[in-house]
Amino acid sequence: MIPITIVAGYLGAGKTTFINKVLKETKSPLGILVNDFGDLAIDYDLIQNDDGLTYSLANGCVCCKLNDDTGAALESIKNKDISGVLLEASGVAIPVKIANYGLSWPGFSLNGILSLVDGQSIESLLHDKYVKTTVRDQLIQADRIVLNRYKDGIQEKLLELNSEIYTDQEILNYPEFIQDSFLSKKVVDNFQENHYAFKTSSLISKESIDKDQFEDFLSSNPHIHRAKGWIRDQQDKSWLVQMNKSGCTFIPCAYQTQNRMVFISTEPINFQFI
Amino acid sequence: MSKAIKEDQPIKVFTAKSIITMNPSLPRANAVAVRNGQILETGTLESMQPWLSRNNHVIDDQFTDLIIVPGLIDPHLHPSMAAVLLPMHFITAMEWRMPWGTIPATTSEDQFDQRLTEAMVNPTHQELFITWGHHELWHGPISKSRLNTIEAERPLIVWNRSFHELCMNDGALEFLGIKESDVKDLSQIDFERGRFFEMGLGYAIQKLNPYILAPEVFKEGLTKLKQVVHFGGQTTIADMAVGLFDFETEVQSQMALYDNKETPFRVELVAQSIALSGTTTTSEAEAIIAKLPERNTHRLKFRKRVKLFTDGAFFSQVAQLLDPGYIDGHQGEWLSTPEQFEEATRVYWNKGYTIHVHVTGDLGLELAVDVLEKMQFERPRFNHGFTIEHFGFSTPEQVHKLAKLGANISANVYYLHELSNIYANNSVGFERASSMARIGTSFREGITTTFHSDFTMAPAQPLMSMWVAVNRINEKGKVMGKEECITPQQGLEAITINAARVLGLDHEIGSIRAGKKADFTVLAEDPLEINPIDIKDIRIEATVFEGKVFDIKSS
Repeated sequence: MIPITIVAGYLGAGKTTFINKVLKETKSPLGILVNDFGDLAIDYDLIQNDDGLTYSLANGCVCCKLNDDTGAALESIKNKDISGVLLEASGVAIPVKIANYGLSWPGFSLNGILSLVDGQSIESLLHDKYVKTTVRDQLIQADRIVLNRYKDGIQEKLLELNSEIYTDQEILNYPEFIQDSFLSKKVVDNFQENHYAFKTSSLISKESIDKDQFEDFLSSNPHIHRAKGWIRDQQDKSWLVQMNKSGCTFIPCAYQTQNRMVFISTEPINFQFI
Repeated sequence: MSKAIKEDQPIKVFTAKSIITMNPSLPRANAVAVRNGQILETGTLESMQPWLSRNNHVIDDQFTDLIIVPGLIDPHLHPSMAAVLLPMHFITAMEWRMPWGTIPATTSEDQFDQRLTEAMVNPTHQELFITWGHHELWHGPISKSRLNTIEAERPLIVWNRSFHELCMNDGALEFLGIKESDVKDLSQIDFERGRFFEMGLGYAIQKLNPYILAPEVFKEGLTKLKQVVHFGGQTTIADMAVGLFDFETEVQSQMALYDNKETPFRVELVAQSIALSGTTTTSEAEAIIAKLPERNTHRLKFRKRVKLFTDGAFFSQVAQLLDPGYIDGHQGEWLSTPEQFEEATRVYWNKGYTIHVHVTGDLGLELAVDVLEKMQFERPRFNHGFTIEHFGFSTPEQVHKLAKLGANISANVYYLHELSNIYANNSVGFERASSMARIGTSFREGITTTFHSDFTMAPAQPLMSMWVAVNRINEKGKVMGKEECITPQQGLEAITINAARVLGLDHEIGSIRAGKKADFTVLAEDPLEINPIDIKDIRIEATVFEGKVFDIKSS
């Protein structure tokens, strides 16, 4: 599995400069995918990488474009000797959406999302009439924020949205940051608010729940991608329930007066068994 | 020399029960004289005697009990998308009238399975059977096991109405060599259910492209589109984004298939600025677009026009919305940064282009309006033809501004028919859903307003668009936003003279008057006199393209 690291951030945040720094400091060969949709291939031309490992993409929505350039690039890079892929998202990309390539393309895995921020311009972008929500999503969804062009007080502002703030040097000091799972996985958490293919449903009830039956329910519904919350079982014990791709855990917790669960799924959930 | 030849040709006079000319100075006639593909005179047999008495002429009375209107125009569709879709088998929640037969609406789970079973008895298509149109709200959840009960061995693929998802049976997975071990644990591929969506769909498409984009299949699709365009009564269409998937393939295949005497329409080609291969700046792209008219043929023409984009697709609910946004709080998407959109607009504006902008949501529209206002401040232009394409959500204030700034509107009114019920309940609420395609306001503001199908987003039938705009009836039969209804007269203007204006061809087509091209659509009934609720059912008997009659076989 080749790990994909998403490099997100608004226009002018320093994505290309950052990628060039990574290429300079990292010994192992990297595949670079640059999504310039709407930008014309400016960034692609500025990437300084070994021949044959940089791809320019022009992705639109699948409903109006049948050529999936990103997919084609991943397919052709799959068998090359690379230690990872950096995918430079377009300036208006919603990072979790792009991150789906890491979760959905055979042969690849998701390392995580880095969002670059220009400290000088970020405040006005967060109030911009057109892009305030896009820019906000780019910050919230990041596993780590890479802050360029420091400005007094900017960290405090960013902390309201994301606690993981670093300088590019701090990131580059760990060359292994491009490896699988080096970055924490925030991605799935973010699906709920960002991806229309995913539905969020919640269960709030007072009656006790049969824990074994509930576990069966979770494992027999593969369209549930994530579940989190508390239940109270028939022995009146309360459990913190956490389910993700790697499995499901039940951890004893403080007494809960009611069941409170949130589910992220690709189909509506039938709660009838409860 | 050429003049002598022209004068030798006999004049042909078409008579009709009524000719709706869309020329305000002479709105009705019952004869039109044509020579060399051009209209010489409109009026009555008596009034055109000065022409007839001096020249050889024939009276063609085959339309004498029928109604003639100007050749209908669809100013925005996508032949390349249509070419991919049309070879597929349609099973959809809405009725589709096609030249080869009407495809009835399929509105329940059982009906879907039944239609699919019937289709699989004798599949029309090669080794891979693909059906398009599945929608969960009508047809229930789709899965591999459901498909396998219908057909497990022969490859079968069910493609979603939105294009954003597909489902395969065992046979298709095997045929395409997709193994569980390759795709397990991937979040947007559900192997167990045979479902591929979003990025997972991209993977499936990679595997499918050799089949759906095979030259012979693509050619079949473009040939079918030719029939569809004729069947809808259209004599002019515009490909409103050449380069959607491969610029050269799209241009060359359309020229090969459409540039001949058997094609009853012309195609206006509008290139999209982004993704032109080998370009790194808008100026470079512009330099390429500027040269495209050198490739023009009689029926296919590039002009000084370009297509740009602001926000995401309307059908996918990623239109960018002003507050209060979507009910569920999800966000729309931009297709490029507002700065890049502005810069691209500036390059083309300053070079004198007519700019067509894909705009779906009211925040997307806000950007288009703001940028147009900026351009007018920097370098004012009159009659610039800046056109809002799609026009999903808008506010009355934005429409007022568009009028002040001299913009045109090309609306997909079919959104209102197909989506206003679902969007009222699940997306944006009743107020905004009922006023999508706010064209009553647009006409009141005096904006040149036309309709398009964006085919395959809506049927390529201008009379269907006119019907929606006049009646504003959604798929549940409910009137949505009656204040935004327009009159039949305005509706017919939209799909004739206004469409011609939006394409910059109003000096040649769009109405029936001396000097214009002899493009007509022949109808069984009068669209301005008939009960408006029946407009979409008016039978189209024939079209006339540059004087030549092309019959339409009724199906």
